[in-house]
Amino acid sequence: MPFADLVVGTLLYGALLGVIYGIATAGLSLIFGVLKIVNVGHGAFMMIGAYTTYWFFTLYGLNPVLSLPFSLAIGALLGLAFYYPVVRRVIDAPEMASLLATFAMGLLLQEAARMAWTSDYRGFSWEVARLEIGGVSIYASKLIAAGLALLLLLFHYVVFYRTKLGLAIRAVVQDREGALVVGINVDRIYALSFSIGIAITVASGSLLAIYNPVGINPYMGAILTLKAFVIAVMGGLGSIGGAFIAGVLFGLFENVSYVVLTGIEGVQPLVLTRFIAFTLLLVILLVRPKGLFGR
Amino acid sequence: MGEGLVVEGLESGYGEMQVLWGVSLRVNRASMTVVLGPNGAGKTTLLRTIMGINKPWKGKVIMEGEDVTFVPPHEKVARGMTLVPEGRRLFPELTVEENLLLGAYTRISTRSTAGYREALSQVYELFPRLRERRGQKAGTLSGGEQQMLAIGRALMSEPRILLLDEPSQGLAPKIAIQIIDLLSNLRRERGLTILLVEQNIAAALKNADYAYVMEQGVIIKEGERDKILHDESIRQAYLGL
Ligand SMILES: Nc1ncnc2c1ncn2[C@@H]1O[C@H](COP(=O)(O)OP(=O)(O)OP(=O)(O)O)[C@@H](O)[C@H]1O
Ligand SMILES: [Mg+2]
Repeated sequence: MPFADLVVGTLLYGALLGVIYGIATAGLSLIFGVLKIVNVGHGAFMMIGAYTTYWFFTLYGLNPVLSLPFSLAIGALLGLAFYYPVVRRVIDAPEMASLLATFAMGLLLQEAARMAWTSDYRGFSWEVARLEIGGVSIYASKLIAAGLALLLLLFHYVVFYRTKLGLAIRAVVQDREGALVVGINVDRIYALSFSIGIAITVASGSLLAIYNPVGINPYMGAILTLKAFVIAVMGGLGSIGGAFIAGVLFGLFENVSYVVLTGIEGVQPLVLTRFIAFTLLLVILLVRPKGLFGR
Repeated sequence: MGEGLVVEGLESGYGEMQVLWGVSLRVNRASMTVVLGPNGAGKTTLLRTIMGINKPWKGKVIMEGEDVTFVPPHEKVARGMTLVPEGRRLFPELTVEENLLLGAYTRISTRSTAGYREALSQVYELFPRLRERRGQKAGTLSGGEQQMLAIGRALMSEPRILLLDEPSQGLAPKIAIQIIDLLSNLRRERGLTILLVEQNIAAALKNADYAYVMEQGVIIKEGERDKILHDESIRQAYLGL
């Protein structure tokens, strides 16, 4: 492959992956922004989405794009199922309680997945066309995954800025007591926000499986959680737009780093990329604790 | 004169710490009643407990004859009671008009604006300043304007019972008096039942019908405005006379 094509390909794939990282982090940011809790089990919810797409495709031959509504619905229900018995009780508790609770939720999903589906690595191959873009051949499925991620972001934006529910959510974020005295059922807003956040997270797991339909296993969530943390911090915790831009930057960074490091002998590109990512996280936390775009 | 709001033996607090030790009071319909008391007496806690933001431990809250002790705040708003909280608690990043619309939250739907248009123009009539600044973020308003917005936001829910926690706090004396006079007008013109907590005692007493004095979580004195106004110990403790 000529060098120019390699550059274009790397950047293009990086940006597409980044868009998916962006929407994956939006769910985490929404939950943090509204409920002020960090969902340590984030990646496990994405894992559920990846399996959802995998099983619908493998068992019923369902077009992976069509598994998205199922992921959203499963996520929304999972969100409610965890909110009422667990999350609601830890909102006002010391931080450690919510960290432990969401960590436990992640473990529960992970072990349930292992018991139900074993710890085998799974993958599927969805035959769709390849497209030529600027001399680079690219899987249409990856473009579709990124397009759907943008659609989800749009949906998210519309809910947030164009509906009564969104106005109420923003009110709760800005002043919870103010929200109470205007008659907003704050508990219900928390439940809905958590549910929407988890729905988006599970759906982003589906998108990741469409983008890269291999390596689906019960433990895939851990690294996804860590990446989402790096991106969320880059974008400024709780900022959804920031998370999205940071996601794209991170996708670009990851791909470029991987390609560059592959060329160096004796280096494990995946491991070192991860290392650089966390060094980056540390630096951002020290230098710009409110994120790259924070004021 | 009917009962607007009755509180019986109310107890509550934070965690293990009890703040209210059996507070009873009565606010007649379309009257203005004021609660006075030193810092830390539990006045804010009293209003928050009446509203349901703090859970009552014991006692009763009765709204126009109906027991609403354990009714959550959002339902109380829907039933016609709201609170202008201490520190105003506006939504700083939202515009003045969005703050006002949220005041009518229990009545608005995304489809029909009829429910709040009328209330909105009434609030703008009352506070022309807010109309001028309706596109501005609430956080950028001056202290006096913010207080107008807090009161306007509360009026948007068209309450029959209005609780206010130190609405004149942090305002220039002249504006503070204007705000309290305005509340008194609202009571007269709209028949609003008002329970007011105030540090600006002279202004509050001038307009109130009845007053309670609270110390360390209990009511230690109560009476008609004139009785409290002429009470020697109150004049010394609160009016500096
Ligand atoms: N959120 C809270 N958590 C714990 N204790 C609190 C809380 N809010 C108030 N208190 C305590 O409850 C007591 C009563 O406080 P409260 O705010 O009701 O008094 P107040 O009469 O409104 O005082 P002020 O005139 O200063 O507004 C005080 O001892 C205060 O320290
Ligand atoms: Mg107070």
